[in-house]
Amino acid sequence: MSEAAALAVQDVIAGYGGAPVLDGVSILVKPATITAVLGANGAGKTTLLRTITGLVRPRQGRITVDGVNLARRPPEAVARAGVAHVPEGQGVITELTVEENLRLGALLRSGRKSRAAALAESYQRFGVLAERRHRAAGTLSGGERQILVIARALMARPRVLLLDEPSLGLAPRIVAQVMELVSGLREESGLTVLLVEQNARSALSIADRGIVLNLGKVVADDAAAELLTDVGLRRHYLGF
Amino acid sequence: MQEFVEFTLGGVAYGMIYAAIGLSLVLIWRGTRILNYSQGGMAMFTTYVALIVINHTGNYWEGFGAALASGLVLGAVIERAVVRRIENKPPLNAVIVTIGLLIFLEGLAGIIYGGQFRSFPPAFSIVGLTLGSTALGISRTDVFTAAAVLAAALLLAALFQFTAVGLRLRATAFAPNVARLLGIRIGRVLTLGWALAGLIGALAGVLVTPSTFLYPNSMDSIFVLGFTAAVIGGLESPVGAVVGGLVLGVVLNLAGGYLGSDLVSLFGLAALMLVLMVRPSGLFSTTAVRQV
Repeated sequence: MSEAAALAVQDVIAGYGGAPVLDGVSILVKPATITAVLGANGAGKTTLLRTITGLVRPRQGRITVDGVNLARRPPEAVARAGVAHVPEGQGVITELTVEENLRLGALLRSGRKSRAAALAESYQRFGVLAERRHRAAGTLSGGERQILVIARALMARPRVLLLDEPSLGLAPRIVAQVMELVSGLREESGLTVLLVEQNARSALSIADRGIVLNLGKVVADDAAAELLTDVGLRRHYLGF
Repeated sequence: MQEFVEFTLGGVAYGMIYAAIGLSLVLIWRGTRILNYSQGGMAMFTTYVALIVINHTGNYWEGFGAALASGLVLGAVIERAVVRRIENKPPLNAVIVTIGLLIFLEGLAGIIYGGQFRSFPPAFSIVGLTLGSTALGISRTDVFTAAAVLAAALLLAALFQFTAVGLRLRATAFAPNVARLLGIRIGRVLTLGWALAGLIGALAGVLVTPSTFLYPNSMDSIFVLGFTAAVIGGLESPVGAVVGGLVLGVVLNLAGGYLGSDLVSLFGLAALMLVLMVRPSGLFSTTAVRQV
């Protein structure tokens, strides 16, 4: 199952003590694709990402990136294996400047030249960050912060990008920009993206595949276009 | 006026020592949210190491270097062996463990070195400097003390602001989970933070002891004043610890000079109470205080 996958989650059971939040979840994410993880509040979407990155230790199951098992590895080891996680609530370090936040993302690259090149590349791609490079990250707007955390995640040249609710709290216009940015990343750099979203319509509009979670179980796993046309599934689990 | 200048300059030298202790407390607090009550005990222990080396080699600077190196090692060992086990546990665990460490270090020093008071040599002459015929109230050793702490503070500031290691330290202090997600091995970063705190504490120990004596409890009162300096500046702020130490040193020296040395401790406590009542988060902290 995992040979052709950039990321494979197999039969994972995980939670925070007591009843598991993820109850035997298996998903497969192909390279250079966007996979949307959808579902209601409490379905286990965020826990899935936190388990993949090691913030939650799975009780059972395998999590492989390019065939390497990362289950039960600490978050720093998972990051070093090429998995970048943009957490819910954005994860900007507000006390640091925009440039310091970006430099943090590049610390996994070896050599000053490579880090400087990554910074220059990031400023070229995200002009708004170049303009605000010396400002404290806490002074940025919600949309700018979202761009900053995605840019920071890209600094390490990850193989897999995990995005948790990137549209949370953003105006519709900004959400569209963020989705366009994520879609562009797949086109430009062949990045593999696992996108957790409450805004199912928006996520499926850019995704290749969609996975629907309900009470910690996968209830649907299909091409995004198929999910968009499945009226029953949309009404039951996606709310549109 | 001359008295005022003498007391003020003398206060600067003492203040820099309080600043060094305050700085070491801030380093640990920012990284681990632990108030290290054993900091004074660590500084006392490394000063004993310095004294042994000085007595053995006859060279002050070898002892000075040995104190700093042993402070670095002691800080790292304590973090790895003891503190790591109580990270992310209730705050009371850290209070009990660090007070226990203080008692352990002071007891161990008593067993190894005995309880008698020992004199510790100064780096330079302690004869007061003069400007023309005017006494300045400070010695070469006082100037060295102020310069050494200032240099240490500036080096630390440069480390934090301009290096990748400093960026890791700051990221770990502000947002440890985000730092981990970015691949930072925060365990190593925290060890480094404790090691640096041990080094700064060791510096304070060798700088203050020539004007006191060395014995197992010799750093207790210095720790209290260093803690006061850190609280005045705001436990979050390295700059605040230095400014807090300077303000405290000058105020206490002026109070001691004009009103009598018996009142120094009282003024120290009064300064602490005043700051806690008027601005509990300290002068330089940006952390908001909330009522619970």
